[in-house]
Amino acid sequence: MKILAIDTSASPVSAALLCDGRLLGEFYLNIKTTHSQTLMPIVSNLLSSGRIDINDIDVFAVNAGPGSFTGVRIGVASVKGMAMPLDKPCAGVSTLESMAYSLPYSDGIVCAVMDARCSQVYNALFRLNNSSVERITEDRAISIDELEKDLEFYDETVYLAGDGADICFQAFGEKLENVVLTPVNIRYQHAYGTAAAAEIMAKENRLCTPAQLMPIYLRLPQAERELKAKQEKLKKGEMQE
Amino acid sequence: MQKFISSSPEETEAVAEKLACTLKGTEIIAMFGGLGAGKTAFTRGLARGLGIDEGVSSPTFALVNEYSGKFNLYHFDMYRVGSWDDLYSTGFFDYQDNGIMIIEWSENIIEFLPENHITVTINTLDENTREIIIDGTNISQI
Repeated sequence: MKILAIDTSASPVSAALLCDGRLLGEFYLNIKTTHSQTLMPIVSNLLSSGRIDINDIDVFAVNAGPGSFTGVRIGVASVKGMAMPLDKPCAGVSTLESMAYSLPYSDGIVCAVMDARCSQVYNALFRLNNSSVERITEDRAISIDELEKDLEFYDETVYLAGDGADICFQAFGEKLENVVLTPVNIRYQHAYGTAAAAEIMAKENRLCTPAQLMPIYLRLPQAERELKAKQEKLKKGEMQE
Repeated sequence: MQKFISSSPEETEAVAEKLACTLKGTEIIAMFGGLGAGKTAFTRGLARGLGIDEGVSSPTFALVNEYSGKFNLYHFDMYRVGSWDDLYSTGFFDYQDNGIMIIEWSENIIEFLPENHITVTINTLDENTREIIIDGTNISQI
C-alpha cells in the first residue's frame, strides 16, 4: 500500500511517501513562506524523485488539524484535489496524533502540544508501548496551567513534542521532573507521522472519501469566555484607557 | 506613554509616519477610537512611513488588507469580529510574526492581543482635534 501524506498544519510544510511501512522519501521545509506556494512543488518533486506515479498512490493522507486556520485548509483542500479525480480514499489525521507516530522509539507518554496563542495549547496525550501508539485523551484546547495539572498524574517519562513544547517546558519543565523535550529533528510534526498514522487507519477501515474529508478545528472555550467578559466590561465603560 | 495633539488628518498621518520609522517588522499595533477618529488616516501615514505607495482604505469588508513595503503590513478591521472563532477564521494568528499588524476596532479582540503590542488610542476632542496616545513603544528613540 502506497501512502502520500502531507502536513501544512503549522509553520513547517512536509510531504512523505510510505510504501508498506517503508519510508520511501520525505521533504520538509520550515522557512516561513506560504504553504500555498511551497506544497505542490514539494509533492511533485517527491513523486518524481521517488519515481512514483500519482495514479499508483492508494491513500492520500493529511494532517487535518488542529493547527493554523489557513494551513489546515491548504492541506485538506490539496488532498481533496489530488484524491478526488483519482477516486482514492483519504485519511484525515489528527496533527497531534501524527506527532506521536513520529516518536515511538521509547516507552512513555507523548504530550503533543501546539501553540494556539492566548496562553492556550492544542493538546492530546498518547501512551507509547512496544512501539504502538495508544491514545489517552481526545484532541483538546486547554490552558498551559490545566495541562500541567493533568501531567502530574503520570510517573512515566513524558515526551513534549510540537511547536508548543518549548513554551510548556518553560512553564513547567522544572517542576515536573519526568517531563523531557524531544530533540528538534523529531519535535515538530512531519508528514512521516501522518503517513504512519494513516497506515493504521487503513488497517482499521477508518479512511474516508475525498468529499468526506474535513478540517478539524478546536475551539478555545476559555479564551472565548474571557473575551465575552472583557467586551461586557468595555461596554459598561469600566475599562477606559 | 506619549501624547500628541492633531488638528487635521494630515497631522495624524505625520504622527503615524514617525511611529513607522521605529518599527522593526513584526510589531502588533492595536488601535482604539470611535468612528471618524482617524484610524484609517493613521494607518495611511504608517504605510507611507514604510514606503507603501498604494492607497490605504478601510478593510471593513475585506477584514484584512495586505500591503508590501519595507515590511509586510497587515491592516485588520475587527468591527465585525465578535468571537474567537471569527478571529481564528480571519487567519489573524497565521499573520503574526510575518509582518506588522495594525488593527482597527481592537476593542473587539482585546483578550487575544499578545502581551507585547503597541497601543494607539485616538480620542476625539472636537470636530477637528484629536488626542493620540501611543503606549508600548517610544517613538522619539529614532
